[in-house]
Amino acid sequence: MISSDTQEESNLAQGNGLAIINSKAPFSSDFGKDALDVALIFGSFEQKISLFFQGDGVYQLIAKQDGTLVSIKDYLKTFSAFEFYDIEDIYVCQQSLVNRQLDETFHIENVNVLASVEFGLALNRHQHVLRF
Amino acid sequence: MKTLAVVVTTPPYSPLTVTALTYVETALTAGINVIGVFFYQDGAMHANENISIASDEYQAIAQWQRLQQQYQLPLHICITAAEKRGIACDSVDNEQINEAFTVSGLGELVELTTKATRLVQF
Repeated sequence: MISSDTQEESNLAQGNGLAIINSKAPFSSDFGKDALDVALIFGSFEQKISLFFQGDGVYQLIAKQDGTLVSIKDYLKTFSAFEFYDIEDIYVCQQSLVNRQLDETFHIENVNVLASVEFGLALNRHQHVLRF
Repeated sequence: MKTLAVVVTTPPYSPLTVTALTYVETALTAGINVIGVFFYQDGAMHANENISIASDEYQAIAQWQRLQQQYQLPLHICITAAEKRGIACDSVDNEQINEAFTVSGLGELVELTTKATRLVQF
């Protein structure tokens, strides 16, 4: 969990850009994959983008999942390419994890776990928001 | 000048699409520069010429078409979303695609987002 003052300030300085909120579990709908496609396109156009995981969306970050077991393409594997696309601002809602009794064990690195208020503040720093 | 871009993710038979249309038309009549509407996820179904909604129900596709003609409002559909929903996008003069819509990719969404002062999703 990163929540030092310097981290907060550097995020503030970056400002605007697009925030994508992921709010759905990974393998019960297309939403996660559709959000990923948008994120990667913005990344490849070198547009600033942050990812937020909230509600059932936090399941997309949980380690040791394999969509192929239920015959779904495992798009979660592609999350490991975020760094390559310069997608570095990744936030997860702590309360959503707590409500689902999930550990802060994620399948990608550099995930910022934020309390509800900080999560909201981080979201508010963006000019545009899309929710999937 | 302030600009607005809109993302529609709901299908033509959804009441939420009515809200989107009302919103966009209100913006247009208020003189707001709506630079485009991007149809993603189930929103791509709007471009499907084969969709037929009972005549006593809200005709969302016809309404989009009207706004496009009246205000030269660009309507973009995401090609990937459209093709996975049975709308063949491979030829230019495709009879399956409603002519009010332009077949675009997610790159168009990037373009709209970077140009728009505000992006609103339905």
